[in-house]
Amino acid sequence: MDEAAIGEVIGSSSTELTAESRQLHIAPPFGSFIKVEQRHETIYAVVFNASTQSLDPNRLATAYHLPEEELRAEHPQIFELLKTQFEAVTIGYEHAGVLRHHLPPQPPRLHSFVYACHLTEIRRLTAYMGFLRALMRVDRVPRDELIAATLRNAATVYGEDERRFLVQAGKELVKLVGDDYEMLTSILQRVQS
Amino acid sequence: MEYGRRQVGVIVNGSLIGGLEMKLDPYCSVEDVRAGTFVVIEGEKSRFFCMVTDVRLDSTNPQVLANPPDETADLMRQVLHGTTTYGTVCLRPLLMTAKEDDIPEQHNEPHVVKTIPAHFAVVREAEEDDVSQVFGSEAYSKRYFHIGRPLDMETPVCINLERFTERSNGIFGKTGTGKTFLTRLVLAGLIQKKQAVNLIFDMHSEYGWEVQKEAEQQQQGFVKGLKQLFGVSVASFTLDPDSARRREVQSDFTVKIPYSQITVEDIASLAEELNLHATAVESAYLIVNRYKGNWLSTLLNQDPAALKEFAEEVGAHPESISALYRKLSRLKTFKFLAERVAVDAVEKIMECINKDIHIVLEFGQQSGFLSYMLVANILTRRIHDLYVDKTERYQATKRPEDKPKHLVITIEEAHKFLNPVAARQTIFGTIAREMRKYYVSLLIIDQRPSSIDDEVLSQVGTRITALLNDEKDINAVLTGVSNASWLRSVLASLDTKQQALVMGHAVPMPIVIRTRDYDETFYAAVGYTPEGPGLKQKAAANITDLFGDC
Repeated sequence: MDEAAIGEVIGSSSTELTAESRQLHIAPPFGSFIKVEQRHETIYAVVFNASTQSLDPNRLATAYHLPEEELRAEHPQIFELLKTQFEAVTIGYEHAGVLRHHLPPQPPRLHSFVYACHLTEIRRLTAYMGFLRALMRVDRVPRDELIAATLRNAATVYGEDERRFLVQAGKELVKLVGDDYEMLTSILQRVQS
Repeated sequence: MEYGRRQVGVIVNGSLIGGLEMKLDPYCSVEDVRAGTFVVIEGEKSRFFCMVTDVRLDSTNPQVLANPPDETADLMRQVLHGTTTYGTVCLRPLLMTAKEDDIPEQHNEPHVVKTIPAHFAVVREAEEDDVSQVFGSEAYSKRYFHIGRPLDMETPVCINLERFTERSNGIFGKTGTGKTFLTRLVLAGLIQKKQAVNLIFDMHSEYGWEVQKEAEQQQQGFVKGLKQLFGVSVASFTLDPDSARRREVQSDFTVKIPYSQITVEDIASLAEELNLHATAVESAYLIVNRYKGNWLSTLLNQDPAALKEFAEEVGAHPESISALYRKLSRLKTFKFLAERVAVDAVEKIMECINKDIHIVLEFGQQSGFLSYMLVANILTRRIHDLYVDKTERYQATKRPEDKPKHLVITIEEAHKFLNPVAARQTIFGTIAREMRKYYVSLLIIDQRPSSIDDEVLSQVGTRITALLNDEKDINAVLTGVSNASWLRSVLASLDTKQQALVMGHAVPMPIVIRTRDYDETFYAAVGYTPEGPGLKQKAAANITDLFGDC
């Protein structure tokens, strides 16, 4: 794994991918933009879940009641048996220099490396509001939290245009949430704070 | 043709009869859309000219309205604006032109709307070109006269004076809304473009010479009258030479009317003003039987004590004759009435008309209703009779030189002449109903159109209406106009001054205008040259030429 990679794909499907973090406890932030670089194409996704658990599904972590430094000093092996993994929803892909805002024909290959997206890449991805629709498909985590987090992350790359971007995204959201005014309010409140 | 045209929305709903609805673009503020303004819908094959009739707020979700975002929720408000909450503008399409007939710089005549545009047709603000295409322009032809500008544009709106003079017309509005200015404008247009000869019964001496402007208007205190603007083309007649002298204005002729010209019909139409009972009027006929044309003169010359004998002589009831005598004695106080008159006023008027000279008849201090109605009735009745003869002669000979000159008679306080009762008795009712059969039409000025007979109102071709807020008056002005309900709100929302709704025969569609300013620019536009000493002498010389020494 090269220095810049933040994870390795360990599970993939047409719509989602699961990757193991390079470092324990350090997963890309909730709602951040990541990419999987493959030979002929790059697949883009947004992180919607991160979890840390034991490598062995039969052995669950238990409490030791010790602060972390002491735990590392006295029982270093515990940390060898844990892994952090994260899941992301695919929002688009780039092939031969053209960015497409829909699902790729093939899911990401296992053991490909995962990287964080650059600012320019985030800008390109969020220029078209279609990514919001992909986020709406996620049902395992609260959608309002996910969308708000994604928008907060995306807005930072826009600098002065931040407000304009948020308003545009908001208008797109209105179409997606339909009559669910509560959802819209919840998302926008989380974005503004 | 598409550059710089600002889009305001797209069509989302509507029908031919009910009007169209447009969803306002989120970039346009609802507050910028005003009733009475002009927009254009770019359909696939046609262009539609429309007026904004209503503006409404809509939302897709009642929850939003029940829990509106508060002041601090800025982002929410911006997000909702144009998506969940938006403005809907109601439009009334009034005219359409086929796009394939477009020729730049030329007049593409619009026609009546027979269909509507498709969904999502783009709506844009109307521009100057659009207005000239619809309303014509003074540049296209002499028959267009610039009367004002639309509410939100600087292009001139013109009325078609040819079509204006094809019917009788009316200028309406509450007191103080600028009817006099509107009338002066229209008359100036008729005079400048030589569309008709005008005879103006100027009750308050407002049209002939200078009149003091109301205080709120600009610095200069006086506005020019028609006589000053058009010089020799306008003759100033007066009923009250003393008043004219006091105001230091030159009048070309003093009108005097002999008793012998007053008929019983003239008195009958004044029955209400004179407070005359019907039987008293009937007795007048008995006097006529006996004394023919001299009936009035004979009656007024009677000794009050001898009335009883007089009554017996003609076979009328003494009380009726007394009443008649008493009421008609008021006429003796009028200085313009006399036993015998040297020059016949009507002849002089006809002389002027034949020379294409317009006449303003001032009433000076004789501006009471009674004298106004009496004089207007008498003169008009005789002129009308002469016109009927002329027309019949023309129809017989068919020679162009026999064709009577088209005459427009302007009367104020028209409801006095044209209320349902009077309309049947006065000559004005007759003229209104005849339309232009005998080459005479009316220009009626009034603030109470609801008092005017319905039938007469429906004959009024073009109506120029300033602010009216009495329901009855609004209904009256909209009589005979199809699909008038949407115009109601427009009428009630006019400014008190300098705004009017023009509709009818002379304009292709109803439009709200800001009236053209009656000022130096206007004077210059109608060809006025500033006064100098030479002008007065020229005027004096012309008068002598025309009338001899009066």
